[in-house]
Order: sequence, then structure tokens, then C-alpha cells
Amino acid sequence: MTREKVFETLNEVFRDVFDDESIVVEEETTADDIEDWDSLEHINLVAAVEQELGVKFTMGQVVTMKNVGEMVDIILAQIGE
Amino acid sequence: MQATFTSFYFLCFYAGVLIIYYLIPKKLQWAFLLTASTAYYLLTGNGILILYPVGACLAAYGGIRLMTWAEKPAIRRWILVAVAGLLLGGLCLLKYADSGLLAPLGVSFYTLTVLGYVIDVYHGIAEPQKNFLKLALYGLYFPAILSGPVLRYREDGEQFFQPHPFDYRQVTMGLQRMVWGLFKTLVISERMNLVVNTVYGDWRSYPGIYIWLATACFAFQLYTNFSGCMDIALGMSQTFGLKLPENFRTPFFSKTIAEYWRRWHITLGVWMKEYVFYPLLRTGVFARLGKELKKKAGKKRGKQLTTFAAMLALWFTVGLWHGGDWKYIIGSGLLHWAYITAGELLAPFFKKGMERLGIAYSSRPVEVCRMLRTFLLVNIGFVFFRADSVGAAAGMLKQAVGVWNPHVLLDGSVFTLGLDVIESVIALVSLLILLAVSLLQQRGSVREMIERQRLPLRFIIWYALLFYTILLGYYGPGYSAVEFIYQGF
Repeated sequence: MTREKVFETLNEVFRDVFDDESIVVEEETTADDIEDWDSLEHINLVAAVEQELGVKFTMGQVVTMKNVGEMVDIILAQIGE
Repeated sequence: MQATFTSFYFLCFYAGVLIIYYLIPKKLQWAFLLTASTAYYLLTGNGILILYPVGACLAAYGGIRLMTWAEKPAIRRWILVAVAGLLLGGLCLLKYADSGLLAPLGVSFYTLTVLGYVIDVYHGIAEPQKNFLKLALYGLYFPAILSGPVLRYREDGEQFFQPHPFDYRQVTMGLQRMVWGLFKTLVISERMNLVVNTVYGDWRSYPGIYIWLATACFAFQLYTNFSGCMDIALGMSQTFGLKLPENFRTPFFSKTIAEYWRRWHITLGVWMKEYVFYPLLRTGVFARLGKELKKKAGKKRGKQLTTFAAMLALWFTVGLWHGGDWKYIIGSGLLHWAYITAGELLAPFFKKGMERLGIAYSSRPVEVCRMLRTFLLVNIGFVFFRADSVGAAAGMLKQAVGVWNPHVLLDGSVFTLGLDVIESVIALVSLLILLAVSLLQQRGSVREMIERQRLPLRFIIWYALLFYTILLGYYGPGYSAVEFIYQGF
């Protein structure tokens, strides 16, 4: 899967989780950019991403990832380019 | 020496530690704090019981060393399970089981601090400590072992082992905070305690308004006692150049119960969220439950219901942490779960109703009403918390609403509860000082505000508070405040 393709999938997951069709995620997108992205929604989001892409984040990654770009890095490292 | 921070001998002990701390070479400061912490534990009559916290630190140390050595995830996992089992097993055995074993000081707090650290190392977000003695200081650090705050190594761990040169401003500010903490515990909490004991000790004779009054007194007793203890612990740490996490942010100003728990005993809430609630939500069971519920109840509601289910487990754990008795499980656990879920389910209706009536939801009067409502709900929980049993709590609640006797407020009967007229005035004035400072705290650090004043005014404020506390502080038998309420947990 390419980086672009991962972003595309993530876009859909984000729109679904946050119920907002206007969301477009980028490398630098953080929790500050999306209104409902609090720590509980973060857990829901991670669960949704895991299900959609068949990956598994460690709890350490869940708490330390800084932006969507880092999330994509972890995903790509797991499923291969 | 008594364990409480308000005992005269403890304050002498602390003064000695502070002086030596800045006289010895900076490299030895952490080792000295470990020595002082060990001495504190031994001197407070805990003698042989020190083996429990030391054992907990040893288990944690062994666990993280093995984890660094083992590379296979499965093995690391087993190590984590073993260490967590040991620590939690110890906690349960000492706290809940009728094992006849004497519970060591601070077991509920050091267990969480140390276990959280091991889990963080497992997840690779905290540095594994190589020196056992350093880890032991972290587990035994005397200002925090009594009643928290629960520490978090990845944020506040490393500072313990760095050199701390004497900083006049930090030391004075720390001491000022300690005086404020002593004011809260000795002047307010101790007075509230008298009223609470009278009514709760013989509740059948004190129905109606007495129960309301005594429960509100208990709310302030517990708050000033626990948060005052935190002011002393954090102030003391500040004089050592150490910054510990805050445990309270004026919780009685909360507008909802959920907000209340983000402002009351914050470090416990954060711990439970991070190590119980979130991991639970990510388990397969809850993932499947979420899927099912979304299918049946729709996406939004399904997600909400899954969260509520995980919260039930969370609040049960929070209640259980306070004590094995049902009065704790209900009063500081399940009741709050019911509040939060009901609050979330009802919020849309409230908002709609207010809109229809043309009342702005975010206006100041509405906010104040919401704060009062939250305080009332919290107080119902406190009835369970403070009463002897769930049965007694239910009986008290029944008497609180069943008997109408507001005349006791006017005919002088309230002055027979333990505080006479003068004592009641002192209590009231002190509570007003607390309220004024709490309101100022909404705008930032009050100590920094005072710091910006001219020297004479600064001088007057701090000495007035100090003498107010010394003169009006209520000293029980043996000149020591009632033991910190939370230290029993």
C-alpha cells in the first residue's frame, strides 16, 4: 500500500469516527485541528484504524504519536510499502 | 514521630532534611532524599512494614530489568503480567483480604505509582531505570507516599536524580504553599470534622437539615484535608526543586460530574483512564461489543453505550480502590458512573428545554446553578463515603429529605454540634478566605499574584496567614491534626 493510499483510507476512517465529511487529514494534522478529537475519541479512532487497516498499535504508540504522519509511518512499517 | 505532615515533629524532621539537602554535594541529593524517606517510614512506626514498599520496588526493578533483557514480546508480556500480579496481589491482600496483616503506609499510592511505571516501560514510553536505589527513591519519596499524588515516571521521574542548586524563589514559594496547606487542614478541616463526627456518629438524633449541613461540612473537611495535604506535599517538593503533578483544581466549581473528576484527585483519574479504561476499550471483547451495539443502536448511540459499559468497569475499580466495602464502591464509584451516564443521556434534552424557555445555557446564572447541582450530587456520594455502611447512608438520605426542620438554623441548635458561636464564625470566615482564594485561582497562581505586590503587603499577607493558622489551627490530642483522611486508602 502506498502512503497516498493509506491517507485516503484514513480520511474515510476519520470522517466516519468524527462524523464530519469535510475532514481531510494531512501529515501535520493533530488533535488540535479536529474539534472532537479528545483522548477518548483518540482511543475510538485508533480502534477504527486498526480494524480498517488490519494493524495493531502498541499502547506506547497510541499515547506518543504526535500527528497523522506518524500514524501513517507506523501503519506502513507494519503492512509494508 | 507521627506520619502526618501537620505534626510538630514531622515539621522539625522536614526542616532538618531541607537544610542538609542544600549543604551536601548536589550529586548526593537524591541519595539523601532516599535516606530521609527511609528514615521517615521507619520513624513513623512502620518499622518492618517498609519491606512491602521495598518489595514492590524490587519486583518492579526485577521486572523492568528482565524486560530490557528479553526481546520476545510474548516473554515481555509474561513478565508484565507477573509483576502486575505481584503488585496488585499485594495490594488486595493488604487492603481487602481479612488477612490479619497490617497494611503498610501508603500502599494504595505507591502501588499505583510503581505499577504505572512498569507498564510504561513495557510499552516503551518510559526509560528503564538501571539503578535500584533510584527506583526505590521514586517509590518511597516521603512527601508523596502518604497520600499521593500518584506519580508518573515518564513525566516527573528523572528530575529526582538531577542536581538541584538552592533557589531562593522556589524555596520561599514552596514554603508559602505549605503554610496554605496547613491553613486548610488545621483551621478548616479540623473544625469541620467536629460537626461531621457529631452528626454522623449519631445520625438518628440529627435528621433533616443537620444531615445536609454535616454532609456539606464533610465535603469541605475532605477537600481541605486532602488538597491541603497535597499543598504541603507539592510545596515541600518545590523546596527540594521538584515539581509534582497537581491533584486538585478547585473541584467544587465543576459544572458536571465528568468535569469534577478531572479536577478532584486528578492523578488517580489519569491513572485509571490510562491503565484501566483505555486498555479495556481496546480489548477484543469491547471491540466486538462496540460492533454489535452499533449495528443494533446506530453508530452514535452504539459508541456511547460501549463507552458506558467500559466506564462501569472503570468506576467499579475507582470505588474498589477507595476500599473493599460497598459504601466506597457505591459512593465513590458506581454512583458517579450513574451520574455521568445519566448526565450524557439527558444533556440534549436539558439543552433543548432551556432553548425553548429562552435561557442561555452558557450564561453565568445557569453555570452557577450547574455548579451547585454538581456539588449536591457529589455530596450524596459523600454520604455513602462517610456513613458507617450502605444501610446507614440510605437511612440518612431518607431522614435528610423526610424531616423538615430549618428552624434549627435560627434557634441556635446548630451551635451545639461541636462549634459554638465564635468557633462557627472562625470556620465561616476561613471558608470565605478559601472561597476568595479559589476564585482568584481561576485567574492563575495566587502566589505569583502576591509576589507582584509591594514588599510590605506581601509580608503582611504571608505573616497574617501564618499567625492565623498558628493561633486558630485546631490541634487535637498530641498536637497533631486528625490523620489525613486519604492516607487510609
